[in-house]
Amino acid sequence: MSTGAGASDLLHAEDSGLDQMVRGEQAVAARSPLQLFWRRFRRDKVAMVALGFIVFLIFVAIFAGPISRLFGAPAPNVQQTAALDDFGLPEGPSSEHLFGVDPIGRDVFARVLYGAQVSLTVAFIGTGLSVLFGVILGTVAAYYRRWVDTIIARALDVMLAFPVLLLGLGLATACSGEDGCVGGLIQPGLSVVIAIIVLANTPYVARIIRGQVLSLREKEFVEASRSLGASNRRIMFRDILPNLVAPIIVYATLFIPANILLEAALSFLGVGVQPPRASWGDMLSDAVSIFDVAWWFMFFPGMALLLTVLAFNLVGDGLQDALNPKSTRSN
Amino acid sequence: MRRSFQWTLILGVLLALTLGVAACGGDDGDDGEQGTTQGTPAEGKKGGKLTALWTDDVDNIDCGISYYQMGFQVCAATQKALYGYEPEDAVNAVPDLAEAAPEISEDGKTVTVKIRTGIKFSPPVDREVTSADVKYAIERGFFNTVNNGYAGAYFGDLVGAKVGAKPGTEISGIETPDDQTIVFNLSKGTGGVVAGALALPLSAPVPKEYAEKFDAENPSTYGQNQVSTGPYMIENDASGKAVGYQAGRRIHLVRNPNWVADGDFRPAYVDEIDMPQGNDDTTVASRKILDGEAMINGDFSPDPAILKQVVSRQKEQLVLQPNGGGRWVAMNTTIKPFDDPDVRRAVVAGFDREAMRLTRGGELIGDIPTHYIPPEVPGFEEAGGLEGPGIDFMSNPAGDAALSAEYFKKAGYASGKYEGSESILMVGTSEGVAEKAALVAKENFEKMGFKINLKLVTQDAMYTKFCNSPPAKVVICPNVGWLKDFSDAQTYLDPTFNGDNILQTGNSNWSQLDDPELNKKMNDAKLVTDPQERADAWAEIDKDITNLAPAINWVWDKTPLIRSENVNAQASAFLGQWDLAFTSLK
Repeated sequence: MSTGAGASDLLHAEDSGLDQMVRGEQAVAARSPLQLFWRRFRRDKVAMVALGFIVFLIFVAIFAGPISRLFGAPAPNVQQTAALDDFGLPEGPSSEHLFGVDPIGRDVFARVLYGAQVSLTVAFIGTGLSVLFGVILGTVAAYYRRWVDTIIARALDVMLAFPVLLLGLGLATACSGEDGCVGGLIQPGLSVVIAIIVLANTPYVARIIRGQVLSLREKEFVEASRSLGASNRRIMFRDILPNLVAPIIVYATLFIPANILLEAALSFLGVGVQPPRASWGDMLSDAVSIFDVAWWFMFFPGMALLLTVLAFNLVGDGLQDALNPKSTRSN
Repeated sequence: MRRSFQWTLILGVLLALTLGVAACGGDDGDDGEQGTTQGTPAEGKKGGKLTALWTDDVDNIDCGISYYQMGFQVCAATQKALYGYEPEDAVNAVPDLAEAAPEISEDGKTVTVKIRTGIKFSPPVDREVTSADVKYAIERGFFNTVNNGYAGAYFGDLVGAKVGAKPGTEISGIETPDDQTIVFNLSKGTGGVVAGALALPLSAPVPKEYAEKFDAENPSTYGQNQVSTGPYMIENDASGKAVGYQAGRRIHLVRNPNWVADGDFRPAYVDEIDMPQGNDDTTVASRKILDGEAMINGDFSPDPAILKQVVSRQKEQLVLQPNGGGRWVAMNTTIKPFDDPDVRRAVVAGFDREAMRLTRGGELIGDIPTHYIPPEVPGFEEAGGLEGPGIDFMSNPAGDAALSAEYFKKAGYASGKYEGSESILMVGTSEGVAEKAALVAKENFEKMGFKINLKLVTQDAMYTKFCNSPPAKVVICPNVGWLKDFSDAQTYLDPTFNGDNILQTGNSNWSQLDDPELNKKMNDAKLVTDPQERADAWAEIDKDITNLAPAINWVWDKTPLIRSENVNAQASAFLGQWDLAFTSLK
């Protein structure tokens, strides 16, 4: 592993190795790493636009109600049979329903807005929890080594071997009973989805962190800290952890879009968010059967999903570049 | 994708099926002129192969077990039950294996039927059918290896009959004084309904000496080794094994070489009927039929988008067949607040039943009920016909908020809406149009102030684990419905609203309506044998049920049937499906 200090090279420690040394920008000693990072990130136009979109999306999710009212849309679960034809088929986009309606007369515009709430909630909470558990497990395993590491690492390997979607389907089915499962902690709906995401992502995060910590724990500053009599906990979380911030941020950003897609997939399969709550995945799945007569019902949630995932991916790439200027896109 | 199509499929099947099912099919007979049906040309072209697309399988290929519309459809082509129905008349059964109408004694305790001579079983049995074969057919319905779903309900009053009997158990109440005569002796005067039930496939003859060994197995394997008496039989090998039936994949019917056309009311035009299953994508399947790549639809209904296309462009390829069934949202009358009839009336009054009907395709798929007995079932006209008996809360299909408020006030809710804050459990189906209906129902209840906890599960679980099981304490079942078993209102109202029929499992009185006075009226009406008196009695009961508002009855179904341009397909009013033995190629 590399010997350079600082976060940036560690980010690529796993895949790029020794040659990833940080130089150049370090000359401007007066700037904090955060400032450095921001200066670099700002230069990436695409990532900035994507970031703008994410901020916009968060805004939309929080203010879904007022925004849909502003555009004259009804609440997301209001069924307007007037917007269905004699056969019960939905009407397309109009001034009254910007994105058209779905087959039971609900406004697609309002549902796409409210769907953002679900996607973002799942993305942030699910990813946040995975990172939290992953960091703790990875750090503990790598720091203590020996049997602790053996147990944790093997357990993670086992978890990694699970087919996520199948596990998700099984778990969702098992937990869809009257009282949920795990003593009622996991109820059908959002919490099942979050649980699945945590189960699926934690091992990845933990493996990456473990790899980083394995190298960091041999560093001089850790030895210095130890010789000063610092406790294990202090070393792990005050000395080592700050060095992991960069990879954590980047991986989290890259996990978020994957998790949004996973939520959509689970809802599509009918085991995710429970109707009538709006979710993009659920809308897409309902739209499939009438796609040829109601394109808007698939197009708008589909676009929302596409743009959101794309935005998170672009921001993720931008962050990665900014935190590791020597990587592929450096200039 | 998967989900949506799956549901439609499950709908096709389960709706009809679990809902209650059974339109049965008869075959029937009597001498026949084939031309009695008006929809098809009197002389269809003989020969050729008919292809019907199915999504799923029948509930059971054994005509003594099947209790499902589609099973009945197949049996109508392969078996001769004692009686059957002409395609256009679902009310008056005609003799099939029987020679003439049944004779019911004055007291309704004896039913005598004469059967026809010269009818032979298909290979490998190849012998003439006698009354003993009908006796055995009904006896085996009670075997614990066969467990026919309606034997107990309609033949349970036979002297000596016991549901769940050991294979081989005889019923002393069925006598066969000679090879052409069969006498049913009943412990109660229920001869009227027994006579009606003789048009169900259970009465199709089964050769005891051949079937015994299959019926001794549990479950019986006679279905996979069956012999036929109708114009068609499932393709079989020399030993009798029905190789033309591959569960979940295909049902293949060929001509029964021992069938005698002379004297059978079915024309049986085509030579071969192929029913491939697994056409899960019903949109694709519907298109194949409309474009001529396949010929008729089997167990699924085309979805609203297809219906719209057919109505606007290919109208002559669509038949909307009333099927003697209805769908409702059941309110559990044993649980607060639905134990109060005025709350139920308020809900029915305020419910937008048009929105419910739109989930399945709108006006095309049936009328919005004004009472319970569906069109085409005796008692419908007596109960008020389409107009209805004029009960105010059933009169406004789009919902009447003012009237609803009035009833809520009567029930003690001064605001004109429900005021309780408890969470009310509603269990619906998570598939396709049924899910839409559940969501519409939830919205309607919430509009009236109820707080609904909607749980969506598979159609199968909805019935078996929740709605059919009173201990599950489900308050609202939005996706239930029932089809008549045969043209008698008893088969529609008794299983669904008679308090004596509430079961702890497999219950179909979903509202758990248990009104002693009403129960007594029903039990008395069962003993009426005169058809007109029966109709009047059940119409009266129908009014009482409607007035008790146990459910939100939102459609009297019509089954949309589609065909390709190259077939003359004939719909059967009795089956609510295409009649295979009356369909010919162009």
